[in-house]
Amino acid sequence: MPFRDKFYHGKLAWRANSEGGFVPVEDAVVVVDKLEKVFSGDVRAVDSISFEVGRGEIFGFLGPNGAGKTTTISILTTQTLPTGGRAEVLGHDVVKEPSKVRKGIGLVAQELTVDDELTGRENMELQARLYAVPYSEAKKRIDELLDLVKLVDSADRLVKTYSGGMKKRLELSEGLIHRPQVLFLDEPTLGLDIQTRTSMWEHINKLKKETNMTIFLTTHYLEEADALCDRIGIIDHGRVIALDTPEGLKKTVGGDVIEIEVAECDEDILEVIKGMPGIALLDGTCTGNKARIKVPDSKTSLPKILNSFMSKRIDVASVVIRKPSLDQAFLEFTGRELRDEESNSKPGHKDQSTSRGRFRRRR
Amino acid sequence: MIGETLALIARDLKRWYRTPAQIILVFTTPLMWLLLFGQAFNIGRLAQVDGTGMDLRLVFGGAPDYFSFMAVGQTAFIMLFASFFSGVSILWDRKFGFLSKLQVAPIPRSVIPLSRIASSLVKSMLQATVVILLAASFVLIPGLSGLRFSPSFGIVEAAGMALFLALLGIGLAALFVALGLVVRNEETLFGLINLLNFPLMFTSSALIPIALMPDWLRTVALYNPITFVVDGMRQLVFSTDVGAEYSVAVDMLGIGVFSGLMIGLGAVLARRALLRN
Repeated sequence: MPFRDKFYHGKLAWRANSEGGFVPVEDAVVVVDKLEKVFSGDVRAVDSISFEVGRGEIFGFLGPNGAGKTTTISILTTQTLPTGGRAEVLGHDVVKEPSKVRKGIGLVAQELTVDDELTGRENMELQARLYAVPYSEAKKRIDELLDLVKLVDSADRLVKTYSGGMKKRLELSEGLIHRPQVLFLDEPTLGLDIQTRTSMWEHINKLKKETNMTIFLTTHYLEEADALCDRIGIIDHGRVIALDTPEGLKKTVGGDVIEIEVAECDEDILEVIKGMPGIALLDGTCTGNKARIKVPDSKTSLPKILNSFMSKRIDVASVVIRKPSLDQAFLEFTGRELRDEESNSKPGHKDQSTSRGRFRRRR
Repeated sequence: MIGETLALIARDLKRWYRTPAQIILVFTTPLMWLLLFGQAFNIGRLAQVDGTGMDLRLVFGGAPDYFSFMAVGQTAFIMLFASFFSGVSILWDRKFGFLSKLQVAPIPRSVIPLSRIASSLVKSMLQATVVILLAASFVLIPGLSGLRFSPSFGIVEAAGMALFLALLGIGLAALFVALGLVVRNEETLFGLINLLNFPLMFTSSALIPIALMPDWLRTVALYNPITFVVDGMRQLVFSTDVGAEYSVAVDMLGIGVFSGLMIGLGAVLARRALLRN
């Protein structure tokens, strides 16, 4: 456990108990305890994961395809039974009380589930009736939601005339019609272009601001996790290998990198920096005429460095600051870059990243 | 539960009537059968050529001619095919993720097959009505045989007919919808349904008079659910028990038992298929 515990220092009170499980935090709406899903053929899609999500939080599962993200969501949304462990959503066990769980949650699945042969509004009306939203209330909410996702003008057109991004937005608004307390978003922006992705992020952030809804999302885009999530769990091969705020995850990777271009970089210059008070130098190297310096916080360190360079009459040609990225964090935790994974998944996990996997996981 | 079921029935029907091709098929497919098969396959002529003057009604289950005989059988045929398409449509819903949306929704699982059976029944009953009206209208067209109702055919007989067809439609839809939920591969489903459809159709007295069948086939036909339905309906349409295999009451009992069995089997299969694993 020591490795995992090291990274459990997020915003909420996280306490590991003696058995390596976790003591429930106050107001946790999702509690997952040693959850496990082994598919036939000994494919461990979810391998004893434990975590909790607090009310009002945007919690993200970040990991490559086939890491176990969708399987976890599938268990939490009562579509799949776990083979081990326990999961509660809104205080209800997902295995024993699926109908109570279903009432309080919304799901925007990875694949499109809207009906192409109906209009956008009809899809919404159907969803409202499936969730027993009273007619007059549904009418009001549908207008609001269509406005939220900017589909008012195309609401009465058949969905088959919609673009992929419009369909995805319609899915999102369908997931909100019954005002769920927990919204599950499985890869909400998969396959969308940059503009649509950005607007999807806006919608999700707006939801967070305007409601106290808890959002559980999965993604394999680092920028997405970074832009949206309060906390991120990095999941790989069915295991949660790190769990923290985006900032915390980046911090574990190390500080900012400052690149200073000078006429000639030598040990003397690095000595200048090392000798400066108030600067904790993590690492310093010279590459060509550039000094690469790693510091905990570039905002305060850089002015000091530049001042001391000036006083020593060292000319500075350019300065570049590189903030630590989740990319680096992911690399640090998994030993691989996230983007490598798509072409390199292990055979046992490959099922879930191929087109066949789409069908498999639904079972 | 009723609200969700009605909403899903409405969804199925919208998908149906909004597709022009579907509407055209509703009219043209039975028209083809009635025009080509029903008119051409006029086996009553054989007896006339023979000149023995036998009572054709004995062969045609009380119908005065082959066309009237097969037009009634055609309605059962329609029930079979409409149910078949409903089974296929639920497999498509699984493929397109719509089924998983329903499985996440807080609705009783039974709503999923029940709404599909109900929408299937609405479609098939409408189509059967179209068949009857088309077949009857042929009487007005010179050179064509038409469905000749008995003059005493009234509202009670029509209701009886509807009941026969509805029981058949419910039983078949229950079976095919359950198969559509269990089978996850469309080729397998098509194959399976074909395997069921063909013998169901051709070992019954829907299109071929039982009297013309060899003994072994006749035995099979006498227990075919479609035989119960067309046998009962012909007695209602032609107001005679000449050429009937069973009494109307026994026919009704037969199809009722079949429908009940299929609902039971369908429930077991659908439950299995919708259970989480």
